[in-house]
Amino acid sequence: MSEFFAVYGSLINFAGLNALLALSLYVPLSAGQLSLGNAAFAGIGAYVSAILTMRLNAPFPLAIAAGAFTAACVAVVIGAPVLRIRGIFLAMATLAFGEVVRIAAVNLAITGGAEGLIGIPSKTTMLIIYGTLGVAAYFLTILRGSRIGWSFASIREDETAAMVMGINTTLYKNSAFILGAFIAGIAGGLYAHLNFIITPGEFGFAAEVQLLIYNIVGGARSVWGPILGAFILTAIPEVLRGVDITAGPPRLFVNGLILLLVILYLPNGLSSFFKRAKGSSE
Amino acid sequence: MSVFIQQLINGFFIGSVYGLFAIGYTLVFGVLDILNLAHAAIFTLGGLSALWLTRTTGLPVWASFCLATLFSGLLGLVLYRVAFAPLRRRADSNLSGLISSIAMAIIFEAGAFEIFGARTVRFPQGMFAVRVYHFDSLTFTSLQLEIVAIALGLMVVLSLCLKHSRTGKAMRAVAESETTARLLGIPVERIISETFFVSSALGGAAGILFGLYFNALGPDMGRSIELKGLAVIILGGMGSIPGAILGGIAFGMSEVLTVALTGMSSLRDAVAFSVLLLILILKPSGLLGRGRIRQA
Amino acid sequence: MGMSVGNVARKTAVVAALALGLTGIGSKAQAAPGEAKIGFALSMTGAAAAYGETQKNGALLAIDEINARAGKNGIRIVPVFEDDASQPQQGVNVFNRLIFADKVVMIIGPTLSNTAQVADRIAQKAGVPVVGISNTARGITDIGDYIFRDSLTEMQVIPDTIRVVEKKTGMKKVALLYGNDDAFTKSGYDVFKKALEDSHIKILTEQSFSKGDRDFSAQLTEIRALKPDALVVSALVEEGSGIVSQARRLGIGTNVPIIGGNGFNSPSLIKNSGKASENVFVGAAWNESSSNPLNVDFVKAYTAKFGSAPDQFAAQAYAAVHIAVDALKRAGSTDNRKALRDALTRVQGLDTVLGKFSFTKGRDADCTPVVEMVMGGKFMVLSE
Repeated sequence: MSEFFAVYGSLINFAGLNALLALSLYVPLSAGQLSLGNAAFAGIGAYVSAILTMRLNAPFPLAIAAGAFTAACVAVVIGAPVLRIRGIFLAMATLAFGEVVRIAAVNLAITGGAEGLIGIPSKTTMLIIYGTLGVAAYFLTILRGSRIGWSFASIREDETAAMVMGINTTLYKNSAFILGAFIAGIAGGLYAHLNFIITPGEFGFAAEVQLLIYNIVGGARSVWGPILGAFILTAIPEVLRGVDITAGPPRLFVNGLILLLVILYLPNGLSSFFKRAKGSSE
Repeated sequence: MSVFIQQLINGFFIGSVYGLFAIGYTLVFGVLDILNLAHAAIFTLGGLSALWLTRTTGLPVWASFCLATLFSGLLGLVLYRVAFAPLRRRADSNLSGLISSIAMAIIFEAGAFEIFGARTVRFPQGMFAVRVYHFDSLTFTSLQLEIVAIALGLMVVLSLCLKHSRTGKAMRAVAESETTARLLGIPVERIISETFFVSSALGGAAGILFGLYFNALGPDMGRSIELKGLAVIILGGMGSIPGAILGGIAFGMSEVLTVALTGMSSLRDAVAFSVLLLILILKPSGLLGRGRIRQA
Repeated sequence: MGMSVGNVARKTAVVAALALGLTGIGSKAQAAPGEAKIGFALSMTGAAAAYGETQKNGALLAIDEINARAGKNGIRIVPVFEDDASQPQQGVNVFNRLIFADKVVMIIGPTLSNTAQVADRIAQKAGVPVVGISNTARGITDIGDYIFRDSLTEMQVIPDTIRVVEKKTGMKKVALLYGNDDAFTKSGYDVFKKALEDSHIKILTEQSFSKGDRDFSAQLTEIRALKPDALVVSALVEEGSGIVSQARRLGIGTNVPIIGGNGFNSPSLIKNSGKASENVFVGAAWNESSSNPLNVDFVKAYTAKFGSAPDQFAAQAYAAVHIAVDALKRAGSTDNRKALRDALTRVQGLDTVLGKFSFTKGRDADCTPVVEMVMGGKFMVLSE
């Protein structure tokens, strides 16, 4: 068992963090808002918390909280104008925002430029990651069953109808966006304090797309979907190594194929497969 | 002053390639309301297949260009059949289409990797004569002229076809309303397939021209133009053909002018994306307003 | 909604693949006596895939030669190649697997300094020696006493280059062009800048580009207008070739020297940019045209096996395998990581394709850098 943890400890940590990041995107998705800016929010959380612990010796929990709050504050400012945009255009606007954040991190001195911040104290443990993930998942499950969750769902199904029904769509859309940014900020801070180094490239376009893929493969219709998607996709390179597909293009190909098969045959993600399988056996 | 004019030439040149790339992007969006993120992968495969043809068959460049453009169009058909056609009946087809196009982009990129390797590959030196023209201190090459001519030519042909040809009119009808088009007896499925063919052929052609000029091709060459292409079609108004052309040139200009005016090239992408963000917030329909494909 | 047969089949396949993968985890046979299991963590996909590819080739060539010559009592190498996908996260997973599942005696790699910053820490903690073959960033070997590298840093190469070129050309004012979103090119820029300031050479302008850029005309147009004596470039060879070609095309003639660092040291620079590469100066860790017989054989064998000439990445990977074997012989064991580490510290004056090679006290590379100049379509070594 201890050998298992030696080999796969980091993998389990990354899976947990990726799941937390996937959840951060799940929140705006549950309100029908396709944001491609969550990796940038994670970047903000990561940089702010790392700068606080490195430069000011701030206590770890405080630094994480500060990073998450900064991400949420940026989301307040960005969300007000951006969330008036719908659908694909919103995705593009958040993507442009993400690029601006990444380029800022490349050019600023305090973020260490392209070389990134090196020497971030190692504070994040498996317990912290899975504790946070558990709390986030529990909270989001409660939220889902609440009036707020119901409002999110009605906006996702039909924004105009939701407005007609008297739901303050602007308020709820912004709340979902900000809550997502807050969770992304926490995940980013934890990531920074796990990894010793953070660089701007880790929070770019490829990362944004990856978060979306976690949600799609797992299914963004339940809290468990994104977690499942993140777990499976984080584990896949290791699983493929087990069947001796160790390198290069075939691995890329398998990733693309899984995504394609899921979107074509399981529109609600792999989590719906488990639900259906359960349903048919009963 | 001559530095400034040289910069305008630089911007116009790269902008016309951006425009050619973006036109295919915007065409599919105009007709189907779907953002096809595999367009950049087609761009890459177009360039690489032209290189492969030139190298292995020894065909002259123009012949490889035509064949590789055709091949890119066929890839577009495959793309449509595999990734978009099965999703057409779904309510959320524009989101699921976005995802399946990402999946196809990954698969195409894996293919390019497998066949061509990760290294940058190049057309053989001296395969075609490139003359360099100097006027005073202005410099441009014959290759640049040819590329601008081909890019603008393709764009004009496409615009004319959309306006006057039967297929073009049918495309515009489908873009306007699929149901109405069907009632009018237009074979909607076929028209959409043709749209994908044309879009991908143009994307591939842009990849070939880009590859010929910079002569550095590889599986990653689509990556930087992918985001720029998105910026261009938003700038020009999603679905608008003239918008994509002007948007492309405007974007190319904004890149060089940032460098020319601030002297800080590190600001280049930041300016481009900030402008994009502003446009989306202030005027989401793009600079050319609602000029959609149906008004091409 | 019911499931179609095809659906079920597909799902079963996914589940089966997962199960298969998980059982494959963990148990790998130990190497036989006389066999040294070496892990290679290289970037076979992602941004650095082009470098990982030649590194793997260089390593493969060395392993083939060593195993062919090993005979009955010699040391044979069993390589375990893994792809870190140019990502630190994957690099960490790869290191864990190599160390704890494959139980390798040492690791060669990873390709990128970013990945090394994170992954090398795992090896240090587990007491597994690592020899970096392309990590040039500051602080890599400071991670701990198990971390080595055979790659000269820009710091060891560039100041010399600037001095030699200044002496030869008398340059007084230069323009700087660098990639600002890549750790390697950015740190190369820092070193260039300091070296130029130390030599009291004026920097007229600093221009930057981004990873994956193909068009450098805007920056080069600005630079041309300032009429610099030389153009100093911190870039990897792919971008570097583009910069050199476009600079010449825009009218920065071959009478203006272009100066590059380690990233420029590749035969593909000349192949890619042809005549435009004349009067390009390169400071580098490896000299392709060196008459050292080891190097001549290496270039010949590599070209025969892979169909193209080796570059510095291939040479450093090739050298690392030979350095490892040299240390393994003296360690007296093929699976004692501690003994191997101690033996590595004592690598002294070893004949390699990089020249006489030693590790410094800080476990960095100690070999003689060269300054080369492209003349008549060939790299020529300049002597001071």
